[in-house]
Amino acid sequence: MTPCYAHGVVRGMFLAPKWFEQLRWLGRSSTLRLAALLSAIFALGFVAAIFVALTLGERALERRVDATLTVLAQSSTIAEALGDSPSMILRPLDNLAGLPEPFRRAVERGRGTVHLRNDLMRSENWRVLVAADSTNQPVMVAVPVDGTADAQELLATILWTTAGVVVVLSLAIGVWGGLLAQRRLMRINATLSQLAAGDLSARTGHNRSKDDLDDMSQNLDQTASELERLVSQTRHLSASIAHDLRTPLARLRAQLEMLPDGDGRGAALEEANHLSGIFDTIMRVARIEAGHGRDGFAPVDLDDLAQDMVETFGPVVEDEGKRLMLETATPATVQADRAMLVQALANLIQNAMVHGGDQITVFVDGQNLGVSDNGSGVDPAQFAEIVKPMVRLDGARSTQGSGLGLALVRAVADRHGAKLHLDAIEPHGLQVTLDFTQM
Amino acid sequence: MRILLLEDDKQLGPWIAGGLREEGHVVDHFDDGKDALIAAMGQEFDLLILDRMVPGLDGLAVLKSLRASKNSTPALFLSALGEVDARVEGFDAGGDDYLTKPFAFAELSARVAALGRRRESADGSKPVETTLRFADLTLDLLSRKCERQGQPIDLMAKEIKLLEYLMRRPGRLVTRTMLLEQVWDMSFDPTTSVVETHISRLRAKIDKPFNDALLRTRRGEGYVFGA
Repeated sequence: MTPCYAHGVVRGMFLAPKWFEQLRWLGRSSTLRLAALLSAIFALGFVAAIFVALTLGERALERRVDATLTVLAQSSTIAEALGDSPSMILRPLDNLAGLPEPFRRAVERGRGTVHLRNDLMRSENWRVLVAADSTNQPVMVAVPVDGTADAQELLATILWTTAGVVVVLSLAIGVWGGLLAQRRLMRINATLSQLAAGDLSARTGHNRSKDDLDDMSQNLDQTASELERLVSQTRHLSASIAHDLRTPLARLRAQLEMLPDGDGRGAALEEANHLSGIFDTIMRVARIEAGHGRDGFAPVDLDDLAQDMVETFGPVVEDEGKRLMLETATPATVQADRAMLVQALANLIQNAMVHGGDQITVFVDGQNLGVSDNGSGVDPAQFAEIVKPMVRLDGARSTQGSGLGLALVRAVADRHGAKLHLDAIEPHGLQVTLDFTQM
Repeated sequence: MRILLLEDDKQLGPWIAGGLREEGHVVDHFDDGKDALIAAMGQEFDLLILDRMVPGLDGLAVLKSLRASKNSTPALFLSALGEVDARVEGFDAGGDDYLTKPFAFAELSARVAALGRRRESADGSKPVETTLRFADLTLDLLSRKCERQGQPIDLMAKEIKLLEYLMRRPGRLVTRTMLLEQVWDMSFDPTTSVVETHISRLRAKIDKPFNDALLRTRRGEGYVFGA
């Protein structure tokens, strides 16, 4: 036989640093998201409210100053105008000489607030209004409004600071609550992972807070206890079944061995062997199914495993006048119990030898491992049936085997979290694949 | 050899003890774990044969206690629990071999002999040989070359492992299950004839061309190399 090899890159794994993981976790925390959203809404509301309050306040002040200016204008006559003083400017509209440009623009608009960069006019902020004097002549009257501007500024500072503090506080409380909830959720998550990995003694250790998370922890712990009890019961049960059945088998064997040769002793011993062989297979499936966790799991090089199987079973298959081939493409390494995979592959090869054609292939394709043959195959409608224990299809009744082959393969796949695929091969044949991709 | 047997079954215990005595061993038979532990603590044995499920203290606990007190007597577990996990428990507890019930007496006898010998060779603390010789057959484990009567023999990897296992136990009975466990690392019995096929291939390479059989089959029991 000519095994063909194709070597590829074993899939590497990129591991992000721990703090990065935690940050991502934080980003996925629902409490934190809620807090961030609320803080954002708060902030928006504050900005709008402060903006409106400041604008309205400024308008109200301007109206009051304008009213005063109107009264001032009406109580004076432009003829007796005293000109400019630090506290008031009163000018006829045709005599604006000496006043900075912003004053002119305010006069054109009829009113306005003037902000000056330098202190030429002694005050930086002026309110300008065009009003009628006592003789009903239009005049420009302006007063400094530095005091009110300062007050406005102070008010704005107070409002913005308050808003900032409130937003930061709400965000901080949100982060704190989020972290707290996250820690508890991480604990629950870690417990679930431990349980999934087979450590049935894992508990969340729920506590005091009596909230929804605590209820959930409590329920999870109860479920885990129940699971632990059931699994240990099953293990005890399978141990006592093994004891109760194998001990009489051992006695039977001992008694047969003590008989003198002949008298059908050999045939009886063979039957006894056959019986314990069937029982071994049933027990093996039961133990694999009852087992849990990753005890005994180690990295298994699928390429190496498949080569080993072909080397072991190749001569056996050849003696049957058939061929056992090896096909590998980008073989991967998976976390697995090697002994179980060997049992599964041995079963598949034996099945193929009994039911399949004269070409049997052990293949590895990435994280897929399996056996295919070019025999008459199996009707796809019966795929679900043949992985059940003790099922042998009618056509196969006459051939040997206890019918437990594929049940064991399925149990091994389940134990590894691998998928078991059965596929028909064109033009004829069956392909059974253990797919470890989802592990 | 002086053997301690812990087995509570009323039929199997006497059968095993009787069989071993017939082979010339001295057997102390116990059916309670505590008694067996006390005996093993106080006296020197060459081998311990322990059933896992017995009243009092089970065999696993007995051996764990002994190993904890630095007792290194070879130990063989007999058990109705034969699945991989149960075997691993046995080896983890310090067991040297593990035999699942039901078993043929020849199987037990071969393993008892192997464990007794292991003790002898361990006492001599000889370095592990890398070139094995028996009569006119040579197996170099480093260069992976084999020759007989000066003629090179081309062996596959598994055949080298198989031949090495046999050559390290000249004149001893080696059973099919021992070979499956040690050479193929299979603690289960494949229904196909893996051992028979590989033995016959090996025989075709090392014996047939030279008209002289080094590897013999003992019907119903196993194989003997160089008897």
